[in-house]
Amino acid sequence: MNYRSYFKAEWLSLLRRKQDTLNALLFFVMVITLFPLGVDPSADFLAPAAGGIIWCATALSVLMAVEGMYKEDYNDGSLEQWLVSGLSVTLLVFLKVLAQWLIVVVPLMIVLPILAQMLFLPMSVLGVVMLSILLGTPALFFIGSIGAALTVSLRRGAVLMLLLILPLYIPVIVFATGAIRAAQLEMAYSGQLAILAAISLVALALSPVMAAISIRASVN
Amino acid sequence: MKDLWIERGERDLCRHLTFSVQSGELVRIAGENGAGKSSLMKSILGWLHFAEGTLEFNGEDVTQHRDMLLQNQLYLGHTPGIKNVFTALENLKLYCPDAAEDDLEQALVQVQLGAFADTPAAQLSAGQKRRIALARLWLTDKALWFLDEPFTALDVKGVEALEKRMSEHLSVGGAIVITTHQPLLNLSPKVIELAA
Repeated sequence: MNYRSYFKAEWLSLLRRKQDTLNALLFFVMVITLFPLGVDPSADFLAPAAGGIIWCATALSVLMAVEGMYKEDYNDGSLEQWLVSGLSVTLLVFLKVLAQWLIVVVPLMIVLPILAQMLFLPMSVLGVVMLSILLGTPALFFIGSIGAALTVSLRRGAVLMLLLILPLYIPVIVFATGAIRAAQLEMAYSGQLAILAAISLVALALSPVMAAISIRASVN
Repeated sequence: MKDLWIERGERDLCRHLTFSVQSGELVRIAGENGAGKSSLMKSILGWLHFAEGTLEFNGEDVTQHRDMLLQNQLYLGHTPGIKNVFTALENLKLYCPDAAEDDLEQALVQVQLGAFADTPAAQLSAGQKRRIALARLWLTDKALWFLDEPFTALDVKGVEALEKRMSEHLSVGGAIVITTHQPLLNLSPKVIELAA
């Protein structure tokens, strides 16, 4: 096993498991479709709320995608092979998260313009929403990968993982929706986006290391 | 070529265990269920900690940093690390990315899976999955093998083929550490007994 063959295999396995991938996307679309039906379908309500709705849906669908990311690897013994491969587990975690991020976020970006129309999001703000998702979701994935690694050996780890991870998602959601709100009010939003990028970079630097430690602890 | 040397300090699992594995040597870790055979292997590979003791590989202390050891070994555990979504051939390719396509197929033929190269592993039995993992043994150039219960779920023919491959490996100077409850038919291992 080397890093390239691992990434290729991981990518291929994500493509093979279309259902899981589609699930996250479908979930995202469904939350956004149901929201106006349940609350208020008028533009007066939806336009200001759009950023928040989109971000909550994003966070939840990321959580869905991340929750079981190591489960199969744990059950079939792949994680054991990670540990003895002589490769850096930290880097393997990074590659896995990267593959997961690509397969969830790229389709999400593609459907986003259509959904934004449904929420009466002004075209001028759409760019900021997309940018905030590009900058903010890496943090969600990386933080989520720690929780997934910690709970992988537990049979019902999903709830515990939610408790561990959700509080750490809050800053990302706050700053992302803050940026969108600012853009809607035609104020400067680069500060919030910069903080989002900073959170993602910190998560990128720290979480693969922490996830690798958690995997070592879980596989026993 | 190979000189592994282990001292294990006081621990419930085993106390003051010292043994070495030389090139061309087959070492069988024996003991009852739960005696800690797999745990011993896992701690040699570095994912359980020694309470005390040192581990040497080629004369160098690798107790703290296993990289050198890990890069020269091949480990097959209880769960073979075979992905259900991949075919037999793809599974093998993941672990042996540098091997040529022909060699991969040849290795599968060696473990009687030649006809199943393009079958998804999900449709294969436990024994067949294990054989995909074992096919790596025909492709590897790693000198030191750690085989944890490699014969589980294998049929007679599979056991025979595996033993043949093991003795080949030993004859070219490789070393094998194995745990198994089955008697080895044609090989005479050095036995390390773990008390429960």
